[in-house]
Amino acid sequence: ALPCFCTAGSQSTPGPVGFVLKTWLAGILAPGLGVLAHLERLETQVSRSRKQSEELQSLQAQEGALGTKIHKLRHLRDELRAALWHRRGNVKACIANVEPNRTVEVNEEEALEEKLENVKAVLQAYHFTGLSGKLTSRGVCVCINTAFEGNLLDSYFVDLVIQKPLRIHHHSVPVFIPLEEIAAKYLQTNIQHFLFSLCEYLNAYSGRKYQADRLQSDFAALLTGPLQRNPLCNLLSFTYKLDPGGQSFLFCARLLYKDLTATLPTDVTVTCQGGEALSTSWEEQRASHETLFCTKPLHQVFASFARREKLDESGLLIDCFHCTGNTSAK
Amino acid sequence: MDETVAEFIKRTILKIPMNELTTILKAWDFLSENQLQTVNFRQRKESVVQHLIHLCEEKRASLNDAALLDIIYTQFHQHQKVWDVFQMSKGPGEDVDLFDMKQFKNSFKKILQRALKNVTVSFRETEENAIWIRIAWGTQYTKPNQYKPTYVVYYPQTPYAFKSSSTLRRNTPLLGQALTIASKHHQIVKMDLRSRYLDSLKAIVFKQYNQTFETHNSTTPLQERSLGLDINMDSRIIHENKVEKERVQRITQETFGDYSQPQLEFAQYKLETKFKSDLNGSILAEREEPLRCLIKFSSPHLLEALKSLAPAGIADAPLSPLLTCIPNKRKNYFKIRDK
Repeated sequence: ALPCFCTAGSQSTPGPVGFVLKTWLAGILAPGLGVLAHLERLETQVSRSRKQSEELQSLQAQEGALGTKIHKLRHLRDELRAALWHRRGNVKACIANVEPNRTVEVNEEEALEEKLENVKAVLQAYHFTGLSGKLTSRGVCVCINTAFEGNLLDSYFVDLVIQKPLRIHHHSVPVFIPLEEIAAKYLQTNIQHFLFSLCEYLNAYSGRKYQADRLQSDFAALLTGPLQRNPLCNLLSFTYKLDPGGQSFLFCARLLYKDLTATLPTDVTVTCQGGEALSTSWEEQRASHETLFCTKPLHQVFASFARREKLDESGLLIDCFHCTGNTSAK
Repeated sequence: MDETVAEFIKRTILKIPMNELTTILKAWDFLSENQLQTVNFRQRKESVVQHLIHLCEEKRASLNDAALLDIIYTQFHQHQKVWDVFQMSKGPGEDVDLFDMKQFKNSFKKILQRALKNVTVSFRETEENAIWIRIAWGTQYTKPNQYKPTYVVYYPQTPYAFKSSSTLRRNTPLLGQALTIASKHHQIVKMDLRSRYLDSLKAIVFKQYNQTFETHNSTTPLQERSLGLDINMDSRIIHENKVEKERVQRITQETFGDYSQPQLEFAQYKLETKFKSDLNGSILAEREEPLRCLIKFSSPHLLEALKSLAPAGIADAPLSPLLTCIPNKRKNYFKIRDK
């Protein structure tokens, strides 16, 4: 018998050749077939187990690799998380830092509002200077606020177009104010003079109108007829008495305001109705009235007439007390 | 009461529409409240008129009262007349105008009566510082014709007066003279301005056609105007010529403003210009004399119509200055000659 064993080392003689060899040998060595088959089985078992262990090893290796990878990724995740928290923390800190900035902004807003209110107030106060204006798309709109004796009266507007020549577009100046004349004189050459001149005329007109209106409304009791006036209020004619109830003389007054920029008359004529020769006291009164009208505003003159009446009345009262010997009347 | 006066009052009252009758009678202030209450205004007009004439007779209405009623009727129906504008001027170095109403009325009446003997002059003052004067014209030998009076509306202490245009033109110089002398002026000139709308004429002459003014108190800026296009309506609609439309709107607003325009019925241009042509050797180009033609623009409301021309796309913006200068120059009659 030939002692031939195919050792497991026949790994190097792979597969089919080795197997054919084995089966040939097995065929030759037919009587020992069971043993060879058994040996074969063992061999395959061993190779299988080797493969398995190799596979296992590779799997294990893979597993190990994946494990390390997982480990690495987890580490990375943790790092990123930490970084994220860190950044959020920073942002919060930043916000916390920004809060003081925001209050600064609010303060700025308040400051701007205050400035706006200031400017508005200045513009309103501007009105009280009597002459104010606002730029328009084509020029300027001038506002003249008139006043007399501290009373704010009507406002008048003139809308100017800044072109060559400078012209008035429209206005609210009363038609009897000589606006065209004033414009013809000054508008093209000296606009400041134009505005001041117009202011003068309008303020004087407002003042005269105010006096005439006050006379009509407050002292109607002393007027014995309607107050005759013209649009410019520069010619006033009226009859009046000093005593609202009684029988005193009637005076006729005629006031001429030849200076349109003045609020006091230039010519005053006071006559007594009846026309007969007056007693000296009445003549003195008449003359004094003329002077009064020339020097004081109309309504103030009448106010002084009314006061004088009251004084006379109280004078009588004092006399009465004196008569009855009442010493407490001092 | 004179028959002619009765007839005159009757014809005047007949002209008044029924819905205005009580207002006008109250303004007339001739018949008392009690008398008016006795009238049944729901009757047929003729019956009402009869009753009113009877009351006027009771109160002995005079020609002056009748004339006053006529003035009031005309004040309520101003646009039945066509009004011309006159401008007076003083000499240099004239005194300040110390207008005295009584003096003016006396002077005016005297001048006319001296010239014509037969003339009816009546006055009525209004609250806007205007005086309405009614003149019925006669001659040396004939009584005044009450049915063709002339009206003058004069604004004291201004150089302007408005006169209703009448067919009796021969009296115009005398009227001008009376007005000039009574108001202490030197000269009177007719302006090239005419319209039925007295308020509009007044607005143009006194440059008071717009009573809104820009101040620092006004909160709405005047520049903001929504285009009539309502561009905000739908974002799917694109206006291709939006820029051009905005330009036109802007120019229109700058020229005409936001306010309503004074009302005129026409603008008339008399051209006396030489023919201008690009073609050489054209017969007309050789003419030495200027061509004369008359162009008249008519409209129920001329200035509003002109204002809407460019936005409607009918004309280019800006419009010709000959059209847009009408309120500023205070004329609607123009004579254009070659310079």
